[in-house]
Amino acid sequence: MVHISDGVLDPWLWESGWVIIAVILAYTLSKMKTDDVPKLSVITAAVFVASLIHMQVGPTSVHFILNGFAGVMLGILAFPCIFVALVLQCFLFGHGGVTTIGINTVNMGVPALIAYLIFKTGTKLDIRPETKSKVTLFGAIAGGVGVVLALLLLATELITTGEAFYETTVLVVTAHLPIIAIEAIFTGVLAGFIATVKPEMFGEK
Amino acid sequence: MKTVRSLLVLALLLIPCMALMPPVSAHRVYVAEQVTGVQVKAWYGGGDPMADADVEIYANTTNGEELYLKDKTDEKGIFQFEPKLGVSGYRVVVEATGHRAEETFNLMGGSGQEAAELPLFARVLAGFGYLVGLVGIAMLITARKMKRV
Repeated sequence: MVHISDGVLDPWLWESGWVIIAVILAYTLSKMKTDDVPKLSVITAAVFVASLIHMQVGPTSVHFILNGFAGVMLGILAFPCIFVALVLQCFLFGHGGVTTIGINTVNMGVPALIAYLIFKTGTKLDIRPETKSKVTLFGAIAGGVGVVLALLLLATELITTGEAFYETTVLVVTAHLPIIAIEAIFTGVLAGFIATVKPEMFGEK
Repeated sequence: MKTVRSLLVLALLLIPCMALMPPVSAHRVYVAEQVTGVQVKAWYGGGDPMADADVEIYANTTNGEELYLKDKTDEKGIFQFEPKLGVSGYRVVVEATGHRAEETFNLMGGSGQEAAELPLFARVLAGFGYLVGLVGIAMLITARKMKRV
């Protein structure tokens, strides 16, 4: 649902998507360290494949996005992660379109950054086995919010194609309710688990 | 006078001959085949149908392309339409909340075959392959950056 295809949006919209991601990618990649690369690639692989897991809800088909999850796990590097995952999904699975990779990355990447912000503010990145419950809670919130924000951005962009914002939002959010719930639980549980077994994985960023 | 008479006899003889002729009319005839129904199906990757999606059918006439029909798919993602007589080229655009697919086909020739696709696991593996390559590049760049500092 969240991958916009070619030819749906006006050119100015997807062109500005490319401009926005060029700026954010340049910034986030400049912060990348060698140690981050393996983690980045593993999460990217997960995000890439997650979109294949789909279910039919009402009249539409929804699939996992895992952008909030990427935000929690990777911090600002979630942005390049989502960009790479979307490029691969576009060319290998035919999800979305080539021209809209930019705007789709904005739709999923910006919420990922906000999800990270929520997680960071909530836990103050004080991640130890003792703070597990807090990490789980904010991980879950971030995981769910990431998806919701992506849907809101999608609905906002679809206004320009003549779709009513309110109706589209209600439609896509209702369809994604199971996805939101599962991703929230998944992200929360995994963040809590990592807090217990390998808290240094979150690290300072 | 003699020739006129023989012509007359010939003409009189021809009249009963015409009755013996098989019933053939001398018009030039045309046959046009007509496909009376086209079914269009739209589905999401993975096989779930695109229900209630907007469908636009463009007819490819000699005057260029024109919008022929505008409707919605049913709950199975199927839309049926009756083609225009004499127009065999069509372009179908299906769109639902940001998803869009199009298909051009010709009723005369079977140009609507599906393109062969790699099986899913191969595409997943290909994706992982690209990722491994990207990891290498990223490692190289970040390592060089660290060396410089």
